[in-house]
Amino acid sequence: MRKIYGFHGGIHPPENKHQSLRSPIADAGIPPELVIPLSQHIGAPSRAVVAVGDRVLKGQMIAEPSGFVSVPVHAPTSGTIAAVEDRQIAHPSGHAAPCIVIASDGRDQWIEHGGKADYTSLDKAELLERIRNAGIAGMGGAGFPAAVKLSVKPDIKIETLIINGTECEPYITADDVLMRERAGEIIEGTNILRHIVQPHETLIGIEDNKPEALAAMRAAAEGSDIDIVEFPTKYPSGGEKQLIEILTGKQVPSGGLPADVGVICQNVGSAVAIRDAVVDGRPLISRITTVTGEGVAQPQNFEVLLGTSMHYLLDKAGYSAEKNRRLIMGGPMMGFTVPSPDVPIVKTTNCLLAPAESELPTPPPAQACIRCGMCAEACPVTLLPQQMFWFAQGKEFEKLELHNLFDCIECGACSWVCPSNIPLVQYYRASKAEILQLRRDTEKSEHSRIRFEARQERLAKEEAEKEAKRAARKKAAEERAQQAATAGGDEDPIQAAIERAKAKKAAQQAGGGEVSELEKLEKAVATTRKRLETATGKLETAKAEGSDLVEALQTGVDKTKAKLEAAEKALHDYQQANSGEQAKPAAPTDAAQAAIEKAMAARAADASLSPEDKARGQLEKLRQRLEKSRTKLAESRENGDEEKIIEALEATVERLSQKVAEAEKQLQETEGA
Amino acid sequence: MADVSYRELSFNGLWKNNPAIVQLLGLCPLLAVTGSVVNAIGLGVATIMVLVCSNTSVSLIRNIVSDAVRLPAFVMIIAAAVTCIELLMQAFAYEMYQILGIFLPLITTNCVILGRADGFAAKHGLGPSIYDGFIMGVGFTAILVLLGGLRELSGTGALFANMDLLFGPGAANWEMVVIADYQPFLLAILPPGAFIFTGLIIAVKNLIDDRIKKRQDALKEKPVKGSKRVRVTGTIS
Amino acid sequence: MRITSPHAHGPMSTPRVMLNVLLATVPGIVVMTHFFGFGTLVNILWGGLVAVACEALALKLRGRPLGFYLKDYSALVTATLLCIALPPYSPWWLIAVGIASAILLAKHLYGGLGYNPFNPAMAGYVILLISFPVQMTAWAPPRGVGELPGLLEALQACFTPAAFDGVTMATPLDVMKQNNSLLVKDLWQQNPQFGRWAGVGWEWANLAFLAGGAWLLYKRIFTWHAPVAMLAALTLMAALFNDGGSSASGGSPLFHLLSGATMFGAFFIVTDPVTSAVSVRGRLVYGAMIGALVYIIRVRGNYPDAVAFAVLIMNFAAPFIDYYTQPRTYGHQRSGGGE
Repeated sequence: MRKIYGFHGGIHPPENKHQSLRSPIADAGIPPELVIPLSQHIGAPSRAVVAVGDRVLKGQMIAEPSGFVSVPVHAPTSGTIAAVEDRQIAHPSGHAAPCIVIASDGRDQWIEHGGKADYTSLDKAELLERIRNAGIAGMGGAGFPAAVKLSVKPDIKIETLIINGTECEPYITADDVLMRERAGEIIEGTNILRHIVQPHETLIGIEDNKPEALAAMRAAAEGSDIDIVEFPTKYPSGGEKQLIEILTGKQVPSGGLPADVGVICQNVGSAVAIRDAVVDGRPLISRITTVTGEGVAQPQNFEVLLGTSMHYLLDKAGYSAEKNRRLIMGGPMMGFTVPSPDVPIVKTTNCLLAPAESELPTPPPAQACIRCGMCAEACPVTLLPQQMFWFAQGKEFEKLELHNLFDCIECGACSWVCPSNIPLVQYYRASKAEILQLRRDTEKSEHSRIRFEARQERLAKEEAEKEAKRAARKKAAEERAQQAATAGGDEDPIQAAIERAKAKKAAQQAGGGEVSELEKLEKAVATTRKRLETATGKLETAKAEGSDLVEALQTGVDKTKAKLEAAEKALHDYQQANSGEQAKPAAPTDAAQAAIEKAMAARAADASLSPEDKARGQLEKLRQRLEKSRTKLAESRENGDEEKIIEALEATVERLSQKVAEAEKQLQETEGA
Repeated sequence: MADVSYRELSFNGLWKNNPAIVQLLGLCPLLAVTGSVVNAIGLGVATIMVLVCSNTSVSLIRNIVSDAVRLPAFVMIIAAAVTCIELLMQAFAYEMYQILGIFLPLITTNCVILGRADGFAAKHGLGPSIYDGFIMGVGFTAILVLLGGLRELSGTGALFANMDLLFGPGAANWEMVVIADYQPFLLAILPPGAFIFTGLIIAVKNLIDDRIKKRQDALKEKPVKGSKRVRVTGTIS
Repeated sequence: MRITSPHAHGPMSTPRVMLNVLLATVPGIVVMTHFFGFGTLVNILWGGLVAVACEALALKLRGRPLGFYLKDYSALVTATLLCIALPPYSPWWLIAVGIASAILLAKHLYGGLGYNPFNPAMAGYVILLISFPVQMTAWAPPRGVGELPGLLEALQACFTPAAFDGVTMATPLDVMKQNNSLLVKDLWQQNPQFGRWAGVGWEWANLAFLAGGAWLLYKRIFTWHAPVAMLAALTLMAALFNDGGSSASGGSPLFHLLSGATMFGAFFIVTDPVTSAVSVRGRLVYGAMIGALVYIIRVRGNYPDAVAFAVLIMNFAAPFIDYYTQPRTYGHQRSGGGE
């Protein structure tokens, strides 16, 4: 006989398990419509890989994992994809989440699949890949992807593999019937797990309130090294950390994983799913769900396809809505109230509890805490719930963390024993959420501080670069002007003329730096506009969330708007003043200068055009220039000009025709887009 | 500085800024000697006299004393005043002097006196300073007497016992037995009683202030009623 | 409002806890009535009435729903415990002052049930003891030692105290304390109220309260830690300083265990959850300190019995004890909260 360790606290609520154990597992059948949420597990939601109208076969992957801690989703039956949209799902908040909706065709046609009965020939990585591809995520209720749990760092030696058949929550019997009816498969799945993990010992922990399951499992494990361990019933022995303590006496360090103490824990449901995935090649598309409570006429366990609506399943058990005031997914201790019975069954739905009001009465208003300490006695993780309640009321978050709030597993034992009916767990949950929010906020402000500093630095750098560029440009222009003055003959005369003109202009502007002024103004307008946009966006979200920041944000937006207007006005004034200057006869010194000024005016006009028009205009201009160059070339040839000039003109024509071709292509692309 | 209204000074000293129950100054004598009305009056009168003396002197010299030696100078003045009062009491009310014992010289360290000297008299003219000292003393004494009365009554069931200590032999029969056959309630006369009763007096004062504030708020809100720009806070019934 | 988990609730409720405590005092009250007459019963009836009135007054002043809070029976528990501690045949005003102090000052001024740092019953008791030392030390002689007044006389003692001419007698603890000339053996022979072990009536009353406490333990109303620690510490202190019965002796362990308010204090006062330490280790420390203090004050202090003072002193220390005795949470290395 193995030594059984205990854990601190725990309670003995009425079990209420017999109701759903009167008949064997029933098949819930194929509902006309299946709604499969993309996030049924802990981790990143999967990505849909099917489109509306696609025909899918049973077992076909319809969503792929989107990260390491993520699993794929498979079609539970054959049919067509009716929609990929947000539907209400089974979540305490009652929010909608992306789902794939399958209209089943009733044929239940399997996709081609196959497993490997001789799994020992597969190596660990391959087995893990199969488990991952089968979409198996913790069937015990939490929904942690099984493959992730099994992927232990190679330097950690797993001493003990624990298969959790505890099922300590009242009412739920899904694992119980599974052990009674499919003990062989559980053992087979356990053996696969042993092959993967290579543990020193393998334990299957079962509470002593399930004698039939114990007998069936013992018979199935006969002759193997698997140890079926029976231990006294107590809630919450089925919690992973508690079960590990019961069976091994070890405690998982706070914030750590079972693997840190050389233990891996899997649920019996997961063991069967792993066996199905490896041996039969069958992905996780159905599960055993207990339907119980006085709200249903025939409480029993169903093998149900994932995505089946709860309403469909409840009807199978003879549900009467009048008798039932709230529908609970999970057990009475840790389950949550389902927003509507139309939400789908998911991988973690181990129980649907439809209690009558008399069965689980609405709690009376909370009385004063008399610090009786019954909660501290019941707490399975040895917290001081009454003290934490005190701090939670006073929002003393630091003290709460000092009292290890985050080690609370929210099992509800403290609330259950509380003579004053204080919803302790609710307080802890709210405090946890608030602390996490605070942490996020600090992180965010820290982040924005860093970003702000980086931006300041960048701006300074940019300014310096600009300054350097400006200086370089000025220098280059001067040099070029000099060059042109000394060795003008060597170059393309047109180019040279342009250069000259540019140099002159640069010389003219060198004092004022007007271009940079304009740039600055434009940039100011652009950044202010951008800031206004983000501010408006933030304001919108704040309004949507009903945050109390709305007012502050509103003033921020107003201020930014005013700034933008001022910046725009400044830009406008400047442009006007400038254009006025330009409109004045600039007293061109030579033809080239005039040409350049014209070109600049044209570019300014261009700026207001659409990219397409711009491209077209550019093309037109290039064509004209090409035409001009050609005629010039022809003239030169006729005139019998110097070889050099003709060559230069030829090169120009060549270049221009290339440019025209490019511009044409670009225009096509622009139009195409 | 001269525009201090005496009305406001009176209201401050007696109620709004009462040294004993709002500023909570001078708690040591307040708690220690208020076992009976006569003790309370004795200490109260002594305090008034010291306050008036010190405020007068401080106000007179306020422009001569430099900031650096301000506090020592004030303390000296107060100590001198206290000594005078003590000697006077010794001469004319010896029994009272003995009952008050150490708390009489301790008036020197009573924060009310230094507080008023530094907080008021050092910044105001002679007239307001004298009046402020007097009215603050009266406010302090009122609380002392109230507390003494409450404690004497609940502690012994009688009031105004031993008044002859202060007012001469003619006052010996001033004692009123309110409740006959009263079992002395020691707690009220012992120091804890002083704390409990002071707490209750402060509570009652706050309650009255609350009521007044509510009534004023209600009056203020009325004319706005019906206006479109009324700002509604709280619940609408 | 949507209800979150857990949806199930256990059978325990605060009114039930309070009723259980009330029920557990019955054997003690019966024994006290047997040995000291109807005084204690009259105390409790009158005290209960005053307590409910005070509670209702406080709730009304604080704007709380009367029915909801009165139904938690906490005022009745406070009244019963205080009235058991008071001498039988106390005058009505003594009881009223004590109850009013307990309910209004010690309980509601601090925020009502669950927020009071001091045990209301003991605070009321101490206020009375300080204010009215004469009445508070006037115990009636037990059955067999003196004449027992009847029910009518008991009522008279309470409501027209001036007309009642009761006999009082020093309690064994008093006698033991004031003795400085006789050997303990002689004390027993000369004073009829010493009885078999620790005083006529007292020993049986203590045993009855022990039985009531054991029943509460069985009903899991509280844990054994604080009372056992207190009794153990008291026994240890008495054993350590027991000199075999000289005239300076503080009394044997058995005498201390079964005399005065030892058992009543251990199971009904020390176990008051609101004012005690919260963790298991904390309650052990809290109980043991009370036990030690009880002995010290009984033997060296000014008052013959010491449970009330010891409890109030440790009430002060409870938050401090809590700070240093935070239990080790699952998955954490052993370390106290404050270290």
